[in-house]
Amino acid sequence: MLPLRVDDAFMSMAIDEALLKLNSEGKSPNTIRFWRWLPSTVSIGCFQNVEREVDFEVAKRYGIDIVRRITGGGAVFHDHGGELTYSVVCKQGDVPDEIIESYRLICSGLVRGFERLGLRAEFKPVNDVLGNEKKISGSAQTRRWGSVLQHGTVLIAPDVRRMFELLKVSPEKISDKFIASVFERVTTVERELGRKPSFEEVREAMSRGFEKSLDVKLSEGELTSDELELAAELKPKYASDKWLRKS
Amino acid sequence: MGYAEFKAPKGVIKVELELADDAISQVSISGDFFMYPEEALERLEETLVGIKADRESLLGAVKLFYSSTGVQTPMVEPEHWVEAILRAAGE
Repeated sequence: MLPLRVDDAFMSMAIDEALLKLNSEGKSPNTIRFWRWLPSTVSIGCFQNVEREVDFEVAKRYGIDIVRRITGGGAVFHDHGGELTYSVVCKQGDVPDEIIESYRLICSGLVRGFERLGLRAEFKPVNDVLGNEKKISGSAQTRRWGSVLQHGTVLIAPDVRRMFELLKVSPEKISDKFIASVFERVTTVERELGRKPSFEEVREAMSRGFEKSLDVKLSEGELTSDELELAAELKPKYASDKWLRKS
Repeated sequence: MGYAEFKAPKGVIKVELELADDAISQVSISGDFFMYPEEALERLEETLVGIKADRESLLGAVKLFYSSTGVQTPMVEPEHWVEAILRAAGE
């Protein structure tokens, strides 16, 4: 397990891919890490068309980055002050072949983590975790070169209104009524607990959750020089317009 | 250029396409679904070019794409792609 890092979107995406690649080559161990985004960022899924999903003007106005992931799924607003992201990298043989079952296994670490924080939590296929019956975490997974990368979001206290400004939901939908309907389906740790836990507290709960559900003992580590070097090499791809606009 | 969206049980499929003589001449698929391996989406688009834009022809082509690639798309079925494509073709 790696220390909590705060990086820009392009570096974070590059680190995830570097870990995946090096794990597949036997040069990096199975790894869990928690990290935050600075500046806040909208990430889009690898199959999404960025112009259709993200309002560039709003992003520019608030100084928010936009990045394409190598994983599928939808657009996510990663709020620097209210969201913790995790990544798990492991050998494909360490998780079930069946896609949903592999999500279930990795997400069960989050489920236990939320329970430690005092929420009722459950996995909802394909890739969501519910806290007190509302979505509180979403994940995305890719499998390449014989290894698996799954990363996902833990909604601690994100700015939901900002999120809907950034994502191209039709403007008439961003009404109080619409926001209210979102709050019926989506929640945050702060809202459910009535307090905002620190990032370290959430990280600690989730780490213990992963240890339990994956039946492993996590040992503290640092990014290796190989991992950092490859990440630095991969970073320009994620920062490029070509990668962002490919569809 | 026709465009349409279809909400599958997991993910919204967005299709942009062009027809020539009732067959697909160009198609671009995007959305927030999952597909393993990811590269298969390009192959699906290639497969669709030249296919007649009717339900039967499309379903045959998409099912063949699934069986020949072994692609996995959790909670998205061949019928869902076809529905999205037909909607775009009708626009």
